[in-house]
Parts: sequence; structure tokens; C-alpha cells
Amino acid sequence: MAQAVRAGRRGRAGMPQVVSRGGLLSFLVVLGLWALATGPLDLVGPARFPSPADFWQSGVQIVTRGYAGGTLLTQVWHSLRLVLFGFVVASATGVGLGLLMGLSPRAEKLINPTFLLLRPIPPLAWIPLAILWFGLGDAAKIFVIWYAAFVPSVINTLTGVRGVDRTILSAAEVHGASRSQLVRDVVIPAALPMIFTGLRLSLQACWTTLVAAELVGAFFGIGRVLMTASQDVNPGMILFAMVCVAILGAGTTWLLGTLERRAMPWRQA
Amino acid sequence: MISPSTATSGPDIAFRKVSKVYGNAEGGFVALDKVDLTVSRHEFVAIVGPSGCGKTTLMRMAAGLDFPTSGDVLVRDRQVEGPGPDRAVVFQQFALMPWKTVRDNIGFGLKCRGAAPSEIKQVTDRYITMMRLQGHESAFPHQLSGGMQQRVAIARSYAVDPDVLLMDEPFGALDAQTRLVMQEELVQLSRVNPRTVVFITHSVEEAVFLADRIVVMGRNPGRIVEIIDVKSLRLSERWDELPIEEVMDLESFTHMRTRVWKLLKDTKRSTAA
Repeated sequence: MAQAVRAGRRGRAGMPQVVSRGGLLSFLVVLGLWALATGPLDLVGPARFPSPADFWQSGVQIVTRGYAGGTLLTQVWHSLRLVLFGFVVASATGVGLGLLMGLSPRAEKLINPTFLLLRPIPPLAWIPLAILWFGLGDAAKIFVIWYAAFVPSVINTLTGVRGVDRTILSAAEVHGASRSQLVRDVVIPAALPMIFTGLRLSLQACWTTLVAAELVGAFFGIGRVLMTASQDVNPGMILFAMVCVAILGAGTTWLLGTLERRAMPWRQA
Repeated sequence: MISPSTATSGPDIAFRKVSKVYGNAEGGFVALDKVDLTVSRHEFVAIVGPSGCGKTTLMRMAAGLDFPTSGDVLVRDRQVEGPGPDRAVVFQQFALMPWKTVRDNIGFGLKCRGAAPSEIKQVTDRYITMMRLQGHESAFPHQLSGGMQQRVAIARSYAVDPDVLLMDEPFGALDAQTRLVMQEELVQLSRVNPRTVVFITHSVEEAVFLADRIVVMGRNPGRIVEIIDVKSLRLSERWDELPIEEVMDLESFTHMRTRVWKLLKDTKRSTAA
């Protein structure tokens, strides 16, 4: 317990570390109420919300025997792989385009109108078109995930580059920095906090979009598990898959937070 | 004017009929009106004047961060075309890179120039000692006090070994005590490392204590009102042999201070009218 409390103090924004004494207590209360409402009190029928036992059995089932075409490991790995791939490609292209637009007014004039036009389209609205283009396989999902993560990466990188302190730029210039040194030593580090803000938003968008895309149609993945469980009227499995998505989302966000702290040591001390 | 003459004994900095007009020529705002000023080799010139008199614009022109509407700005007989490490600037807001350690900030100019790591280490070591920053080499700027941050900024400027140091109210953001310490340190530093310095300040005391000459500017239009020689007084009254608080108590010092104050007051009156 003492260790859990300490870990909670150490935790930073990103990973939801609700392991303070009070937080743990309220969590246990919720678990208890859940067990009571679905068990002895019989407030919610097993077809609407699972009991802890249903939840546990669904977990055992998908881990050992598999569900909707694969074991938990297969399904999770499939979804995780798509998110990571889409996220990495989207960050690279998004941060790249944001930097380009921030550094070159000409590029911004050229690209920004198109970007502003595409930007308000919700990523999920692309799903039908993506399916037409790429079918129900991975390509369509990667495309939609890429789009979802791309937009916040571009916007936040651009904002970060625009917000670079002019005086620091001048100071670097008068001490002899070339244009490429200005970009590497001033613009990028100065924009890094905003870039990471964009990446965090992108990552969340990736998970949202992935689950939605897999719900619409998929051969494997957590969304496929959710969809199948809904058709099978299996609330235990639905809840289990939801918890899996939550854990995956929190885990990847925590990884990104760790990366962020490594990338910006000056913000720690 | 592009080619430097080799055996020049001319001024380090020369402003020749420098004007800066914002807006169109007719109804525009005249920030600087045909300013003529020369600064000799290793001279310390302080510029004082009310806000809007164009003193910062003048300094930015010498730095190559701003350009005149008409007239010439020459540094060592070369027309200023842009920033360069021969003219380092110390800014009021320090302008350190928050993501670089003290050592990397000081060594930044050398790194830009492509100096060898061993040379960077040697030079930064020297300035870390000189500016009493030992033990803070790996600290980030925000972990330091304002005075220490400005010492890092001054060290960064000295480290590129510039011909000309341009200081834009470098102590303006510091508290009064730190300011006194820094003024005294700057005097000591310029004794060890004589440089041509243009120093902009709002503080008349600071100008009188530090400068060889004081340029008093007026505004609307921005112009030079008077140039006062302080060096001969400093030498004859032996200011350099006394600590700063005693210098500031000397009659010769207070006299000079009052003289500059009066000039500034007159400038403000004449503009208000």
C-alpha cells in the first residue's frame, strides 16, 4: 500500500494513476457495489450488465480458448499493431508538415487552405470511403487512424513553431547560428512541448478511431471482439474488451509520457 | 565599403546619417533622424534616453537585426548586412535557451562556428570560472537566479570573442543589489577582456559608472542630444580604484549624474511641448 501511494505521487499527467488511499478505496467501493447490484440484490439482469463472475469467465475464455477468431493476445496484438503503425506514420508526417508550414510561409500559403478544408471532417466520416478504397482489411484502418492522428499533430506543431520566442531566435542568430542550426537548436526544442501535446491528442484519436473502424468491419481486433460479443449478447465479453481498450490506451499514453520526459530533460529539474 | 581596409585605425562602429522611418515618408513615424555616432576600438559607450528615442533600434542595427531607412551602419568599415558573431548581443530578457545547460548555452556560438569539442570545453571552462558559475555547468537556465542567468548570457557573448558587444539593458530585469554586483563585475570583465561595447540603459547611474562616453538621446524624432565624456573624469578622479558604492558617493560622480539627469529632463520637456 505504501508503495502504491508513493508510485501515485511519482506519477505525472498521462497515466491515470489513481492509487492514492482515497482513490483505491472508492475504486473498491465501486467494485463492491457492482458485485452487489449484479449478484445478491439482482438490480441489473445478466443480459444487460455482467456480474464480476461473468466478466472473469469471459476473460478466461478469450485468453485460453479465444473469441471472435482469436485469443486475447492475437486480438490485442492486431489492434495495437495498427494503432502504433498509424500513430508513428501520422506523427512523422504530421510533425513534418507542421514544421514545414511553420518554417516556410510559402509552404503554409500553399498547403494551409487545403488543410483547413479537410480538418473539420471527423476521422470517422472517412470510414465508408476508406472501406470502398481499401476494403475491410488493415489498409483502410491504417488510413483512418493516420488521418485521425495527422490533424492534431500538424496543428500543434505549427502552433509550437509559431510560438518560438523571437528574442531567443535573435540571440542564436547573433551568436552565429546558421538556418539549419536555428531549426535544430532553437525551433524544434522550443516547439517540442506543443509537439508532444499534439502527439498525446493524436494517440487518443488513434484508439477512438481504431475501435470505431473495427466495429464497422474487421476480421480481427478488439473492435471485432466488441462487435461479436454484442451480436452474441455477451455482456461479460463486451465489458472485458472495453477494459482491454482502456488498459491499452492508458499504457500507450504512459509510454508516450515517458518518451516526452526523456525528450525534454530541462522540463524535469 | 564592402571590402575591409587592412590597416584601419578608424572607429569600430560608425552610424552615418542613419534614419529609420516607419510608414510612408510623408506621414511616417521618424524613429531615428540622421543619427551620426562613432564608437572607437575598446570604447564603452552608454546610450540613455526616454522610451521611443530609438536607442534599441540603433543597437539592433549594429547587430544586423534591423536596418536603416537611409544612411549607413558600419562595423569595422564593413557595411552591416546581417547578424554575425563578430557582434554579440546581450538581451534584457537574457534570451538563454531553456533546453540547453549552462555549459551548452555558453558554448553555443563556438559550436555554431564548428569549433572542436576540446576548444569549446576550454573556452566554456574559462568563462564559467570567470563568471563564477562553477558547480552550475549542468544546470538549466530556469534553475538559476536572474543574476546568474545574465552572467551566463554575458559569458555566451564573450565566448564567441566578438569585436563588438552590444548590450540592451542587460541589467534591467535584475533587482537593485544584483544589478550593483553585475555592474562591478562588468567593469572587471572589461578590464581583463577589453571590448568595444555599446550599452543601452535606463539607469543614469549605471551609464555614468560604466561608460567612457554617454550618448543622450531625445525622441520625436529620435536623435542624439548630447555626447558626454566620462572617461577623463573617471581617470582623473580614480574611480576605478574604488568599489562601486563609494564611487557612487563621490562628488564628481553625483555631479556627472545630475548633469545627465538634467539633460534627460530637458529632452522630455522639449518633446512634451
